[in-house]
Amino acid sequence: MKFKNLIVYWRTVLMVAEITLRHQWNDSFILFAIIVQPMIIAILALFMLRGLGGDYAMYVVVGSGLTGLWSSLLFISGNSINNERREGTLESLVAVPTPFEVIVFGKNLANVVQSLISMSSSYLLAALFFGYTLKMVSPLLFVGSVLISIFAFISFGLVIAPLFIIYRGIQQWQNAMEFPVYILAGFLFPIALLPAWTTPVSYVLPPYWAARALHETSTGAGDVEKVIFAWGMMLLFSVIDLFLASKLFKYMLYKARVDASLETV
Amino acid sequence: MQVWKRCEMKIFANNLRLFWQGTVLSYVALFAWFRPVTYAASKVLMPLAQIIFFTYLGSYATGKDSVDFYVIGNAIQITAVSGIFGVTFSISGDRWNGTLPYLFGTPANRMMMFFGRAFMHIIDGALGVVIALTWGALLFGVDFSQTNLSALGLTILVTTISTCGLGLLMGCLSLITANVMFVNNTVYFLLLIFSGANVALDTLPPWMQTFSQVLPLTRGIASARTLISGGSFAEVAPLLISEIGIGLLYGWLGYLLFKWFEIQAKRNGSLETV
Repeated sequence: MKFKNLIVYWRTVLMVAEITLRHQWNDSFILFAIIVQPMIIAILALFMLRGLGGDYAMYVVVGSGLTGLWSSLLFISGNSINNERREGTLESLVAVPTPFEVIVFGKNLANVVQSLISMSSSYLLAALFFGYTLKMVSPLLFVGSVLISIFAFISFGLVIAPLFIIYRGIQQWQNAMEFPVYILAGFLFPIALLPAWTTPVSYVLPPYWAARALHETSTGAGDVEKVIFAWGMMLLFSVIDLFLASKLFKYMLYKARVDASLETV
Repeated sequence: MQVWKRCEMKIFANNLRLFWQGTVLSYVALFAWFRPVTYAASKVLMPLAQIIFFTYLGSYATGKDSVDFYVIGNAIQITAVSGIFGVTFSISGDRWNGTLPYLFGTPANRMMMFFGRAFMHIIDGALGVVIALTWGALLFGVDFSQTNLSALGLTILVTTISTCGLGLLMGCLSLITANVMFVNNTVYFLLLIFSGANVALDTLPPWMQTFSQVLPLTRGIASARTLISGGSFAEVAPLLISEIGIGLLYGWLGYLLFKWFEIQAKRNGSLETV
């Protein structure tokens, strides 16, 4: 996907995001993915990790919020093209002059931004129901980390959605892909606990770098250099993901046109 | 007398046939579109990932000595995949696929029809637990050398039946609500807290402990932990009796709701719209 398209079509991106938000707000599964599930995981983690001392509450708030972000990306953004097909709007979206990936970018923007509610709801849960005093150590760096994480998650989602369409076999593993990323990205416990051979896998996952940046800025566990490095990795992976997405979208649409299977891909 | 007995036998045979056909067909209808790889993803890898996640999370806080606690808790809780999702979808499938009016149009025994929906999921769920415990032994070294395996097998079966009882009740709720995925997922995740799979029940607030006692799984998980740590069948027998009682109660409530739904839907002409 070309960066230029995001600037040229910024109005379209925002409009698609707005419509997506309006559309999805009545979907109970989405409410589950972005509010209920992260809150239940937060409750579990708050009970399970309470032996670790005071700072873990903020760690749990951020980590459980990230689980909501990933689940939303996997199930909602991952199915975003499929859903258009089911509703019969895919042909129209492909036919309009706006590049199709720009439209999916807007949809992913809405999904990822609405998923941030999961972090807020976990924050309220820990503060109001568990009575923790939660202190953000580096608020400015945290906000910066959130913004870059949003971009990294959207870009990652742009790779997942066409992959699920082109290779249906991958989508069959969708249910089994939720917890592995919670584990490998270190959302709620450090990846140092895992066997050493899994570390390179964690390093190629954008959610891992997002978790690092957000944990380090919220709990003060890392210095500025480490945070900047995590930002750099997220931006690097975003560029790679956008490049891959452009190829995948081109191939997906070409294949759909050749096979005349746009509605049945 | 002979004629009466023959008549009874015929009714019994018919009900048995209905039970078996309902069992097989509802299961096939649910999984027919699945490929083995999808089944493996849902029944083998997803449970494995859940066990790994909660075991690492728990042992991060309490150390490696507590690994067994989390592996066993989550392995038994995995039965809820079949018990909650499988059974619910088997019942709600009739609504979504438009076959409910035909079912309610037949004079078939409703109890056979209803409980038949859960039978295959009991076998499937128990198999899922065995797979999960095998993962626990292979990856986390859970030791079964002191375990009374037949008692553990009975525990798995009883816990799966009781979870399917809750699934039958949830399945009936799916006949009166469109938000079946929301309800199912929420119940599944709440069981992770309240069943004691991941948090020792005596560390929960009193109201949560009370709530745990009216749920399936709670006693099944406690029983499995006792048996694997070398406990005897006599120690867990009271737990298993309570566990099966709770499951049958939920199943019975589900059956009453199912009957009520049929009466209301026929009375209001809302069989396909409720």
